[in-house]
Amino acid sequence: MTAAPAEAQEIQLTGPLAGAPAVRQLRLHRAGRFEVAPGASFTLLDEYRRTIMPGLRLTYHFTDWLGFGAWGGYGFQYNAGLTDELQRVAIDGRNCDAQPFTKACQLTRVNLTKGDLTKDQLGQIQWVAAPQVTVVPFRGKLALFAELFVDTDVSFFAGAAAIGVKERKECGTTNQNACAETFGLESRMAFAPTFGLGWNFYPSDFIGFGAEWRALPFAWNTSGFDNHGLGTDEAFPDRKVDDKDREFHFTSMVTVSLSIQFPTGIKTTE
Amino acid sequence: MGLLVAAALVAVPLTASAQPKGQPKEINLDEPETPAEGTEPVEAPAAPTDGGEETGLGDICKIDPTACPTINLEKEAAKDLKNETYAVQQIYALRYHRFEVNPYFGLTMNDQFVGHNGPGLAVNWYLTNVLAIGVNGNWYGALNTPSDFNFQTSRAARIGEPITEYQWNANANFTYVPAYGKFAGFSDFIFHYDFFVLGGVGAISTRPMAVVDPDNRTFDWKPKLSFHVGGGLRIFFNRWFAAMFEVSDYIFFDELENPSVAANPQDKSTWLAEGKSFTNNVQAQVGLSVFLPFSWEYRLPK
Repeated sequence: MTAAPAEAQEIQLTGPLAGAPAVRQLRLHRAGRFEVAPGASFTLLDEYRRTIMPGLRLTYHFTDWLGFGAWGGYGFQYNAGLTDELQRVAIDGRNCDAQPFTKACQLTRVNLTKGDLTKDQLGQIQWVAAPQVTVVPFRGKLALFAELFVDTDVSFFAGAAAIGVKERKECGTTNQNACAETFGLESRMAFAPTFGLGWNFYPSDFIGFGAEWRALPFAWNTSGFDNHGLGTDEAFPDRKVDDKDREFHFTSMVTVSLSIQFPTGIKTTE
Repeated sequence: MGLLVAAALVAVPLTASAQPKGQPKEINLDEPETPAEGTEPVEAPAAPTDGGEETGLGDICKIDPTACPTINLEKEAAKDLKNETYAVQQIYALRYHRFEVNPYFGLTMNDQFVGHNGPGLAVNWYLTNVLAIGVNGNWYGALNTPSDFNFQTSRAARIGEPITEYQWNANANFTYVPAYGKFAGFSDFIFHYDFFVLGGVGAISTRPMAVVDPDNRTFDWKPKLSFHVGGGLRIFFNRWFAAMFEVSDYIFFDELENPSVAANPQDKSTWLAEGKSFTNNVQAQVGLSVFLPFSWEYRLPK
């Protein structure tokens, strides 16, 4: 596996190009430039609520391989299929307002609202803001249909994210905050690491586009259910909805963006 | 300009020396370059300076005496260069008329209730450099794993979500490679990659997992027609070995368990729900690609 790449290099090492740079006239799409990249992010593998997040990435690139900046966005949600199914079967179908004495209604009164799931208990990501470092180790070019050629690079980024989350209100077992009667959402701010990688294309000197995958691993209660709190490893319901019911989610998303580099003039290597 | 021309003139005879007349003009880049007898490469000439032209020409004459009297270096150096350069001079790993053997492992991407992870194998034959026909198959067997999420949702909401397990699937596919390129890593090494898309048709064997009435219901495996679309990326380590990542969607109409129990629960005809469920089994496939034969001879113009 190592011999073949070395062979490709031998030509340069021993030929007339010995000592020459690997790439001449390399267009430096990033070095010394400020990048403004509006885009939209789409969360992946959502259980109950999917998020579309219009956002913006701002990065200043000190060199062609290192930049500092921030990414953020504001989320809009829509239901996954499971949410609609739960609403139809477990809430509207059971009609626990009218028949609270049924077994199913008795057993689910802590976990299921009698109204609208999305307004009363399902968690959602409202916004994200994340300062981050970007490293660009791979630069190259792409031939599409052997006709169209674009400069391209692969970037890796990592940072810390502040996340605005809406989750079901905390509730307990007292008369004042009994979970069977306490539904509704409240906001909190969560902090999480964020990291990922992006693939960027540069059809012109100052405009590019790209796609990136981002992870936001943190614990939150997506369902509003009481799943944990009692027993070994708190693996059983305790009839309270609190921070023990938050579960770790990798929370990944894909972002597509348009990038504009300033100044618009581009430098090239010799 | 003069420097470049001198270097180019030196390079041309060097290359030609490895291809004496009478031999096919084909390059096998995997074999070490062995110059023909009597044509051992000489050191690159010193850069010509003012008045130093004789040194450069002298070296050229040593390498290829026939070229010596025909070149007026000053005249050649004065010409504008209009050399055409391809973005990718030679495709690093040709696929034309080669087999691709691609073992991989598939990971479920869109079923939160049951994981359908399992190994798979694809074999493709490239009709052209960008188009292949092939087959692939996945084995899910005993690897279906109901998730914690399935358990917690059922416990909290008291509902039994119909779930299905898979046994195998097999597909015949067309693969198309619309894009290829190369990357310089850390400005130090170069690696090549390509994108591919594929589509095909096949079958998938599935059966419901009894959730609503597990005491009475056991289901048999049954193959269903499935369609396959996907796309991915290959990163080449050398000319025959690559890592690959693919996202594939196996689309079929599945049969689900009946959420209600009939008066006679052992009546098999009542076990399945009415209608069929449009199902996308999206999986990420991570694996390796081996191209056979391992080497080839270029027959394409550089």
